[in-house]
Amino acid sequence: MKLMTRSLLTGSSLVLLCAGGLLLASCSTPASRSATNAPPEKDPVPKTAAPGLGGAQLWAQNCAHCHNVRSPDSYSDAQWDVAMLHMRVRANLTAEEHKKILAFLKSAH
Amino acid sequence: MKKSLPTLIAVYALLMAGGVARSQEQTNSEPYVSRADYLKLKAEHDTLKQELESVQSQMHEFLKRSAAPESDPVKTRLQELEKKDAARQTETDQALDDLDKQVKDVKIMAKDSFPGSTKMLLTGYGSAGFIAPDHGGSTLFNATFNPIFLWKLSDRLLFEGELEAQLEGHDTSVALEMAQISYLLNDYLTVSAGKFLNPMNYFVERQHMSWVNKLPDKPLAVYDGLLAEANVGFQLRGGIPVGQTKLGYAFFVANAPELRMDTNSLSAGELGTLEFNNFDNLGNHVAVGGRVGFYPVPELEIGYGFQYADVKPPGGLGSANSLLQSVDLSYVHDSVRLKGIVNVKAQWVWSHVDRFAYDPAGTLGGPFVFNNTRDGGYVQLAYRPSRVANAFIKNLEPVFRFDRLSQARTTTGVNETRYTVGLNYWLGQSTVLKAAYEFDGQSGPEADRHNAVLVQFVTGF
Repeated sequence: MKLMTRSLLTGSSLVLLCAGGLLLASCSTPASRSATNAPPEKDPVPKTAAPGLGGAQLWAQNCAHCHNVRSPDSYSDAQWDVAMLHMRVRANLTAEEHKKILAFLKSAH
Repeated sequence: MKKSLPTLIAVYALLMAGGVARSQEQTNSEPYVSRADYLKLKAEHDTLKQELESVQSQMHEFLKRSAAPESDPVKTRLQELEKKDAARQTETDQALDDLDKQVKDVKIMAKDSFPGSTKMLLTGYGSAGFIAPDHGGSTLFNATFNPIFLWKLSDRLLFEGELEAQLEGHDTSVALEMAQISYLLNDYLTVSAGKFLNPMNYFVERQHMSWVNKLPDKPLAVYDGLLAEANVGFQLRGGIPVGQTKLGYAFFVANAPELRMDTNSLSAGELGTLEFNNFDNLGNHVAVGGRVGFYPVPELEIGYGFQYADVKPPGGLGSANSLLQSVDLSYVHDSVRLKGIVNVKAQWVWSHVDRFAYDPAGTLGGPFVFNNTRDGGYVQLAYRPSRVANAFIKNLEPVFRFDRLSQARTTTGVNETRYTVGLNYWLGQSTVLKAAYEFDGQSGPEADRHNAVLVQFVTGF
């Protein structure tokens, strides 16, 4: 059991360390950017999971986590109704995210 | 004398007749007319004169009106007609536009009402590929077809079913991957029941689909290894916004795995592994588990999953506690600076079964008594230069993966470590050609090398 605990702690630490690094990379400040004289990077997706985000941003964020985003033209409105209900369950989307993404997909084709 | 009177009378009569005839001739040829004729002709002349004067008067009146167009009712009438015609044309154009729109709406409605697209959606994926071992052995071809049926029964009720038909070498198999019905209780909670993909296993639930997985094969330990791929039971799941971040969760109660120790069919190295396809729930034990995923920023998800169960071998020879744990990480960032999408995935899992006495009769050389502890997982990095202008380069995606399975402290005693490099070419949003080379190193008493070339062509639909 001690070996198990040690192994678990080691693995968890590695994953958390990796997560911490990525989190820091995601939250790099304008100061650190200017220090390298690099032009400020304009992120395609805002760095917030705020409920106020639009459907297009939520679509890009949530879908791209697992797979290439599918074009709104891939399905009809009725088909998106079904597909998005499936993704709400699978990807643990909130009701608001589901509603906004679905509205965006229907309006974009 | 008597003869002369009749003669005179006759001559007179002849003269009179001649006079009358002469008079008649004079009436027709001479310029003189009778009074009656004169009066008649005069009356006709007067009538004609009056009519002529009337016509001349009307002509004057007409010419006067022609000289003043602004007051001409004909032209005004013409202008009114022109205006009306223009208005009618506008109305006609508008009506045609409306008609076009209605036709388009009807077409969309007709398309949406096709069988399979109103409430049911057929989706899924298929693949074909081969594995060519680098150290002997024959090339193994494979093909898979995974239709997924989604049926939206209402705004809150969804059925999901997935089959997998797989050809590998000479063998074809068909399996029910998933069959679950879900009901949305409220905005943050969904209850599901049936056979569902293991919610605690991030790779299985989110990444195992061929068109999603970045490499032709699946990583050690997390797939067909230390964790279940599917469970039969029910689960509660959903997503909750937490300030500027979000939390996703899933908790389940399902069938417990079976502790494998059939000495007639297993080798010593397989003793103590868990058989997850225990859908008849041997031993009447249940497993409880779940996973919580946290999004500190939208690009990053960190998750922890667990499953606990009292596991039992066939034959009722006691039982042991088992605890399976998993940590996972997903980072996807579309970077302007790097001109593309950086995709990092990592998952590590641990399987522990309490101390148990395997092969008590000594059939395989036992009894073996040990704590059954195994672990493994993978770290994967992929980069797709989607912001590069070159149409060919932007569809390329190099991938690197490290994966490992450690089970040195069990009777199998073999550790396996792999390094895989791959290159994908995306032909579409869900169609990809993958090629990879895998360096496979093993250590332990039955160690072997399995370097291989892997190629796979996949499409999601």
